[in-house]
Amino acid sequence: MSNVVMGYKQSTFPKRLAAIAGIALLIFIVLPFVVGSFQLSLLSKLLLFGTLAVTLDLVWGFTGILSFAHGIFFTLGGYASAYYLKLNLSAANNTYGGELPDFMVWNGLEVLPWFIAPLKYFPVAFLAVIGVPALFAYITGSFIFRSKVSGVYITIITLALSSALTTFFISQQAYTGGTNGITDVSKLSVFGTVIPPIGIYFLILAYTVFVLALSWWLTQSNFGLILRSINENENRIAFLGYDVAQYKIFIWTLSAALAGMAGGLFVPLNRFISPVYLAVAFGTQVVIWVAIGGRGTLVGPMAAAIILGQVQNSAEKVTQDWQLIVGILLLVVVLFIPNGLMSLLPKQLRLSNLSKPKPLPGAAAAPVTPVVPAEMASEPQTEAAQRSS
Amino acid sequence: MTAAPMTVAPTASTAKTVLSVKDLNVVFSGFKALKGVNLEVYDGEILTIIGANGAGKSTLLDAIVGKSPVASGHVYYSGKDITNKQPHKIARMGVGRKFQNPNVYNELTVFDNILLALKGAHGIFASMTAKLTKAKKGKIYDVLERTGLLDQAFEKVSSLSHGQKQWVEIAMVLAQDPSVVLLDEPTAGMTAEETFATGEIIKSIAKAHSIVVIEHDMEFVKQIAERIVVLHQGAVLAEGSVQEIQSNPKVIEVYLGRETINAAA
Repeated sequence: MSNVVMGYKQSTFPKRLAAIAGIALLIFIVLPFVVGSFQLSLLSKLLLFGTLAVTLDLVWGFTGILSFAHGIFFTLGGYASAYYLKLNLSAANNTYGGELPDFMVWNGLEVLPWFIAPLKYFPVAFLAVIGVPALFAYITGSFIFRSKVSGVYITIITLALSSALTTFFISQQAYTGGTNGITDVSKLSVFGTVIPPIGIYFLILAYTVFVLALSWWLTQSNFGLILRSINENENRIAFLGYDVAQYKIFIWTLSAALAGMAGGLFVPLNRFISPVYLAVAFGTQVVIWVAIGGRGTLVGPMAAAIILGQVQNSAEKVTQDWQLIVGILLLVVVLFIPNGLMSLLPKQLRLSNLSKPKPLPGAAAAPVTPVVPAEMASEPQTEAAQRSS
Repeated sequence: MTAAPMTVAPTASTAKTVLSVKDLNVVFSGFKALKGVNLEVYDGEILTIIGANGAGKSTLLDAIVGKSPVASGHVYYSGKDITNKQPHKIARMGVGRKFQNPNVYNELTVFDNILLALKGAHGIFASMTAKLTKAKKGKIYDVLERTGLLDQAFEKVSSLSHGQKQWVEIAMVLAQDPSVVLLDEPTAGMTAEETFATGEIIKSIAKAHSIVVIEHDMEFVKQIAERIVVLHQGAVLAEGSVQEIQSNPKVIEVYLGRETINAAA
């Protein structure tokens, strides 16, 4: 029993949440100055993976759509970004001197394809990083959610999409670089100045904060309440006058756009993109981050991606069988902590509790006061007292 | 609403038709669940539909709200054809539905359940920026008071009794503020006191809404009924006041030996 009203934004940002978010942000601002270049690059990557996990949390944790396709959106954004960086490679740095990317030369292309050429320009590329995954999501989402497909069948469709796109990208070598993907891209620069790794890190950190804040705002609004209701019983809410398909298509598309931007930022950091990130294995990885972190908690999936990434990194140093260690960890969490790591935190510290509005005065404050037994009327206040103590 | 149930059914000449069902046929893979049902619901009345299991009562409501596909025939609401429209569109037009089993959000508070149902803009962007205004709060408390749920406002629905869950769903339908309220067995699983209280709630909301109730319990039917329609094997068998139905030979024949009708007679 929670003596709170969800679904409406409150006027003031909860103080405890602000304090914890502030401390966490401070740590991530200081970290790059105390760690080495390897750890800086790893942290940047893990923040992006965490952001990707948050975008999946929106559709799976909140709305109940289990998707293995989030790697697709990430990778589509990544390719758009990779074309931009590849096409802006100076002639001196290009293997064959000319404008045409190396993998196109190898595959016998003589002219830059018309649909790739505009990606040389930053505004076009920027729009494509968000727009291509969003459009792909809008089209697939419209088919999936307007039809009566539901539950596990949607998941199967996302698996099929992931496999199909992987095969497609590998087969179109001349345009996509095939299995190798797009490699040896230029460094991201602003007005001719190359952005150093620490700059990339802060760019990624800013985007991470943006995605978390946007997701928090969305899920605390009435919109979030409707998403949760779709998750619990989507048939009922249609009879209350809500267009369930429209809500699903919207959150699916928004999530894809946000995942696409994460992919777009991944390429300047990683310096290449390949169909590996389209494949089911990577899509599964994202699902695991959300499952381990805790569905519907936003911060949980982010933390899980970062922690698992660090565990993997440490395990790699100790043994070649690091996957075994990660696998055992996964088993332990799934078997013993089914609601994810966030459920281990004391209730008062969980984001979902922190972000809820303050308790309303309860029944006693109701404008109409019917005959209410005194002990029942006072119950909400008692609870509020327990909560705050 | 303290007056005794009307003995004379309103007719098209005395009351406005709100909902009208014409020659409705619903077929489930060869099985004819509804066979040419005709029905009128008048403004501000309580229409009670009775009938044995499988008579097609719930199917009729399903067809009206767009849940079951209509094979042939039409459903008109305020003169507009709503046959086979999408459920959310029919709901937005003003037809509210309470399902047979409590169909509520167990993981949300009572307050949030009502909030979801509240009449208003149901679009995506409206929902993101919606504010809990005084008017909305007042409306929610009003609905909770009418259904006796004020004390449970901030409890999770999962912690309520079965009867209270039924009331939560009635409260949700009221919050929608529909002109036609369809209630599928609103007293299922309730104690005698709860059943009576539910009857009083229904009577208090009539006039402002047209109400269609599906019910088994004849005591309850006598408490609320103004006009009764009897469904039998997917077709309308009889129609009239409580007294007319109880003395109808066809109804007696179909229900022969049934205690519910005998008890009510």
